[in-house]
Parts: sequence; structure tokens; C-alpha cells
Amino acid sequence: MTAVSCALKRKRKVPPCRVACPADVNVQGYIALLQQGKFKESVELIRKSMPFPAICGRVCFSPCQDACSRKNVDQPVGIRYLKRLAADVEREQGRIKPEPIPKTHSEKVGIIGAGPAGLSAAYELAKLGYPVTVFERMPEPGGMMRYGIPGHRLKKYVVANEIAYIQDLGVEMKTGVEFGKDVQLDTLRQDDYKAIFIAIGTQLSRKLGIPGEDLEGVLYAVEFLRHVSLGEHVGVGEKVAVIGGGNSAIDAARTSLRLGAKDVMILYRRSRNEMPALPHEIEAAEEEGIDLHFLVSPKQIIGENGKAKAVECLEMELGEPDTSGRRRPMPIQGTEHTYEVNTVIGAIGQLPETQCIPPALLDERAHKISIDPLTLETRIPDIFAGGDIVTGPASVIEAVGAGKRAAVSIDRYLNGQDLKVGREEEIEETTWVEDWEKITRKPERYTAPYIDMGRQKVSFVEAAELLSKTKETAMFEARRCLECGPCSECLEGLGLCEADKAVVDETLCTGCDVCAVVCPTGAIRKNARGVAQVDEDLCKGCGTCSASCPERAITMRLATNAQIVDQVLSALSGGSA
Amino acid sequence: MMFMPKIIGFVCNWSLPAEVELTSPTRIHGYPKIHIVRVMCVGRIDPAIVLETLAKGADGVLVIGCHPPDCHYIEGNLQAEWKIKMLKKLISQAGLEPERLRLDWTYTFEIERFAKIVNDFRNKVRALGPSPLGVGSLDANMFLNINAAKSAAEDFRLRVMVGREELLIEDGNVYGEEVSQEEFDEIMDEAINSEYIRNRIYLMVKKEPLSVKDLSKHLGVDSRTVLGHIVVMRQRGWVTVDRVEGTSPLYTALEVGR
Repeated sequence: MTAVSCALKRKRKVPPCRVACPADVNVQGYIALLQQGKFKESVELIRKSMPFPAICGRVCFSPCQDACSRKNVDQPVGIRYLKRLAADVEREQGRIKPEPIPKTHSEKVGIIGAGPAGLSAAYELAKLGYPVTVFERMPEPGGMMRYGIPGHRLKKYVVANEIAYIQDLGVEMKTGVEFGKDVQLDTLRQDDYKAIFIAIGTQLSRKLGIPGEDLEGVLYAVEFLRHVSLGEHVGVGEKVAVIGGGNSAIDAARTSLRLGAKDVMILYRRSRNEMPALPHEIEAAEEEGIDLHFLVSPKQIIGENGKAKAVECLEMELGEPDTSGRRRPMPIQGTEHTYEVNTVIGAIGQLPETQCIPPALLDERAHKISIDPLTLETRIPDIFAGGDIVTGPASVIEAVGAGKRAAVSIDRYLNGQDLKVGREEEIEETTWVEDWEKITRKPERYTAPYIDMGRQKVSFVEAAELLSKTKETAMFEARRCLECGPCSECLEGLGLCEADKAVVDETLCTGCDVCAVVCPTGAIRKNARGVAQVDEDLCKGCGTCSASCPERAITMRLATNAQIVDQVLSALSGGSA
Repeated sequence: MMFMPKIIGFVCNWSLPAEVELTSPTRIHGYPKIHIVRVMCVGRIDPAIVLETLAKGADGVLVIGCHPPDCHYIEGNLQAEWKIKMLKKLISQAGLEPERLRLDWTYTFEIERFAKIVNDFRNKVRALGPSPLGVGSLDANMFLNINAAKSAAEDFRLRVMVGREELLIEDGNVYGEEVSQEEFDEIMDEAINSEYIRNRIYLMVKKEPLSVKDLSKHLGVDSRTVLGHIVVMRQRGWVTVDRVEGTSPLYTALEVGR
């Protein structure tokens, strides 16, 4: 059984941040390494879970931060910024160049689409020793990370650097190859590809569906951002209206500003609370002078000589919640008003290009590929699919999670194993931070300064230049982590770490309770017989109980008193120092 | 030849600067060498381990943890502070300079501060001269002293008091009486003094049966106080009467009670 499938089978107890992460990144582990100033090691630890530390450090919606225990004390730890800083330090100091992984399997795996889902699957499969080829239509791999997210949020060289790491591992990438045209499922099978993972994403914008949408000057966000990323000339007028409230809308608006638009507005049919865009992106857009108009929906685009001239809108009000849980916007009749514009950018959703996909794979509405959500297998045994093509437009980290799951399934499929057994992940959220009293009793214990992310100027310069912040700030920020989960398994391998556990000699324990008083994580409690009991999930191996036990009834499993004294003796006999 | 002190540094995993290589002895940017023993937290430093280190001839013991109020384990550094405070008193009872023991703080990025602490401490220890317990020392009395201190640090009373210091001062005792820091220190000093002397007596009578008068003369403590200790020690089952010479009973050590 391979390492990946073992990891999923085991019952695991992990802190809230890791439970929240779709890609199961060991957050507490790399934060622990950052506390010690081990930047490279922390990046390598992230790479054990996923290949995009610098990318996610910039654009992730960071559910880990939302789940962070620290939010109950003051503010969550700035996990995303720490990840970004660690990755940037590593890149600037010279990225670790991994050795190619020997191909221990002969079955070739083909991956269609070099976006985050496809690349993550390729990364995991390459680590397992499979020969993997990624087919990509565009000139460069990266998918939406390369052609969707604009440069002010994510520099192209950052994406290229992380993809180069995957290539270093021995993943072959064929760009400029279009699925359905240059390669087909049949031709791939003829070329001896034993399993195929389709992760082509959603590359089309949803049309506005209103009169005037064919006028010159009406653009769509996905195509608009792709053209800008390709370096093509995209003219935007002085006045731009972006329609929609997601990240693509904000990206299109902020990019328009950088292309020279004077007056950029976002028209959104719901209110601010319902906007799917990241809160800090919305704030950044406002700070750059983009006007946000809420509760307005376009009725038609008015043209003049075939060019867009104005958008006529209706005011909206919010009705009952719809299937997405958000309140449904309802037009108010007779509230037509117009906005003078030169360019309209539609950003109201994305659709997959389904014409290249065999109809047998598609769901009944032919909108997406239908899959088993656990294993990502399609109706055809050797074909798997994941990422936006399945979920609709989502995030990088969710696509990474899908790629990882696909890799496990493909590995099992090629080994003739059951795809489902043991896959229901048994993850239990475990944290010692239940007793807020213990933390808040001494609020001054945690007063390390926060990272001030700073705002960018209106330019293509990367948004928050965290590299200029010192490593010191990062270490302080990392120290704010309460390390609230069990041993973080940062795999540092120094022989002594949080995996050490206290062991009570029950014959010596008198139940004096000193251990329970000194234990920082509340891992020691007396049982009914008045004997101290250690909860190994909460014990973090500090050894303070052992050093304090009046009866010396507690020893540590690794760093025993005898072991420490031995170190002292060998040091003392080792000549003068 | 210049005196090269042997210094053992117990350093917390979370404050050990990343630049310090874990070789023993280690060298930092040309600063003096130090033998580093890495622990997860300075709270792990058992007082008995420090005394064992001194008994085995270390000229100085340096304990380095995270700056309060920051600690990876919430207050492991304060636990260490209370232990070191007790230890300093205990080793001065044993006739060793308390300056041979030092507790200080660094962060992982404070390599210069770390080096400076090591340097300062080394100069201090060099000024104090070699430990009376060092290699080749024949001061049998000092060895008895440090072993008595070590036994005291292994015993219930001092350990439970150190372990509960914070709780006693902040929440009061089990009777709900508040205990001030001054009151606590007074009780603690008395406990350190008497536990040290009791263990010293124990080690002496373990060698040969002695009377209260002999003990009083040896220890330089008045016979009334010695008798008081003997009474407690008999209650604890540490000593018993070996024989009576003239009118003075001679006491001897019992293994069972310890």
C-alpha cells in the first residue's frame, strides 16, 4: 500500500486549521518550523501536502485562518502571509531543486489540463513513481493560475517557479496540445496511457443574456484576463462597468484600472454581504477607487454606432433565500437608470467547454462531468475528472484537493485495488484550547506584533510586498500560533520533538495534582482513583510535569532524566569548552 | 594555563537560534564554545538534573528559554524561573556560588544576544574560578554538600512548593487564605534551609552513627535546631537510634524511609 492511501486510512487527529484545509496541508507543522526560523524546511513540509506554497500564500481564500483557534483570543494567525513569506524566502534564496523521482511503475498516466487540479494530480502521481504527462492547450502550464489570476495578485514567475519544481520531479508537460483536437481519449489509450485525469476547468464566461451583448466593447472576464495575461492588446475605454460580484469581477475591474481606465465600477445585483469575492480583494478594489454599486442588475446595453455606450439597469431588492442560501435578488419595476460606459465586462459565471468531452461522461444537463465525489471516477473506468470542470468555478486549494484525491484513486485503480475502501476520511478535530480561561488569564502572553500587510500602489507591482518584511516579523507572527493540535508531525527528525509523551508511574503517583497545575495543555487529569492520567493527544512533550513531579513519578518517553544526564556527562567528559 | 570553564547550556527548542549547530561543543561566530543540551522547554529542567550536572564538575550551568511573556508552552519559562530561583538558594546553602547558575532568554532570531549571553556567562564563571567539584577536586565536604542539595531537590517538599508557587500566590491555599509573595518566599527559604540540613545530616549519619552534639559541631548549627531536624527525620523514618554513648544517643540512617 502506498504512502498516500495509508495516510487517508488512518484515523487522524488534527488541529482545526488542518481540518479546514481542502488539501490537508500541515499548517501547525510548518508554522512550528517557522517559529524556529526554518524557512526552507517549512516550505518542504508544505510541499509534502501540495506543490503551490507561494501561489496559495497569495491567492488562497485560507479557510485555515477562519478556523484558527487563535481567533477566540484576538485574531487568527496570519497563516497565508506566513506561507507566502516562507515560499518567497525559499525562492529568493534559490529554490530547492529536487532529484527526479525514479519511475517505479510502468503504467503511464495522462492528465488533461495543467491547472491546479491537473498539476497536483501529476505531482502526487510522480511522487508515487508513475510516468505522468500533462497536456495543456495554452502555451504555458498553470491554467487559471497563469491565465486567470492577474499579475497584481499573482506574478507569472511565481507560478512558473512552482511548476518548474513539479517538472524537476520528472513530470512531462506538453503545451499547445488541445484535448479533443490534437489528442483524444482513443489516441491516448493507443499511446498506452492506462489512466486519464480530465481537469480542463471552466474556460468560458457565462453570457449576460441581455439585449446589446454583441455590441463592440462588451467583454467577458475570463477571456479578458486571459488576453491580458497573454500580453495581447486589450483596449478598455475610459469608463468600464464590470458586472458580477466574484473574484473574477474584482480581478477584471482592478486589471482595467491598470490598463488605463479612468472610471471603473462594479455592478452587483445583491448586496455586499452576498459578494463571493474575498473580503480583502473587495477592500483593495475600493481603496483603488473602484465604485461598487449594489442591488443593480443590467437590463440592456445601449449602443451607438455598434459600440456600447451605456448600461441600463434595474434596481433590485432581496427576497427569500435561494438554493445557494443567499437571498434572491428581485427586480423593482420602473427603476430603470443608466450608467455611461465605453466598456462592459461580464463576470457573472464560468462554464466548461463540454464539446470536447465524450457525451458519455457528462451529466444529464451536459453542463459538467458526472463523477463519484469521493473517488472522482467517471462512468468510464480509466477516466477520472476533477477541479472546476466538476465543481464549477472554485478555488486553487479545492482544485489541489481534487488532484490529490484523483492521484489516490488512479494509484489504486492501476494497482487493481478497491477505490473506495477506507477512503471515508476519519479526521477528528483535536485541540487543547478548550479552556479559554487558561489563555486569556494572561493576555499579555501573546502580544507579538501582527503583520501589517500594507497596500499596493496602482500598478502591476505585486500586491503585498511581504518579502520586504523581515523574517523576524514572520517568526513573531508564527509564535502567535497556539500549536493547539496534537503533535504537528512536522517530521523534522531531530530525535526530540512534540512527539515525546509523559508517562506516569502509577505506583509512585500520590495524586498531588502538581502535574495538572503545570501542564500547559491540560493533558493531565486525575482519574477516579486519584492517579494522574496523560491524554497523549494533548500532551506536547514539554516535560514540565516530569521536572515538577514531587514524587518523580513522571518520566518522558524520549527525553528521560537519564538521557539528559547522559548528554551532560558525555559533554563534560568531552574536553574543555 | 588559562582556565577554560566547562559550561553546560540547557536550551529550549523554541529559543535556540537556528544558526547554532547542535554539535557538542558548539561554536557560534567565533564566540566561546558551550556544550548545548537541547530540551523541548526549559520547564523540563529538573532541579535534580542541574545539581547532578554541578556535582559532576560543570563550572557553570546556563539555562536559556523564550522571553516571557512568550512561551511555546504558555508558561514553561516561568516554571523554569521558579525552579532556578529555588536552586540558587539551594546551591548557596551547599557552599557553591549561585552565580554558577544562570537563566536567560532569547528568541530564535537573536543569535547575537545568544552569543553575548554565553560570552558574559563564561567570563563570569571564569572570574569565579574552577568549580570546587571539578575534576581532581578532593573536597569531600563539598561533594557531601552537593549531594545533600540534590537529595533535597529530589524530595517531595521542595518540589511540591515550587510546583504550586504560582497557584498559592494567585489563588491562595486550600483554606482560602491568600499568600503573598513575601510570605511564600519566607516559607520557601525556611523549607530550603531545613530540607538541605536534614539531607546533609542523613548523608553524615549514613557513614557513621553520630550524636546531636557531633552533628551540631560539624554543621555549625546549634544543637537545638539539629535536634528539631532529628525529630522530623525520625518521624519520616529516615533515621533511628543506633546506640547510646554515655547520655547521648547516636543516630544512624535507615534505607527504608527514603
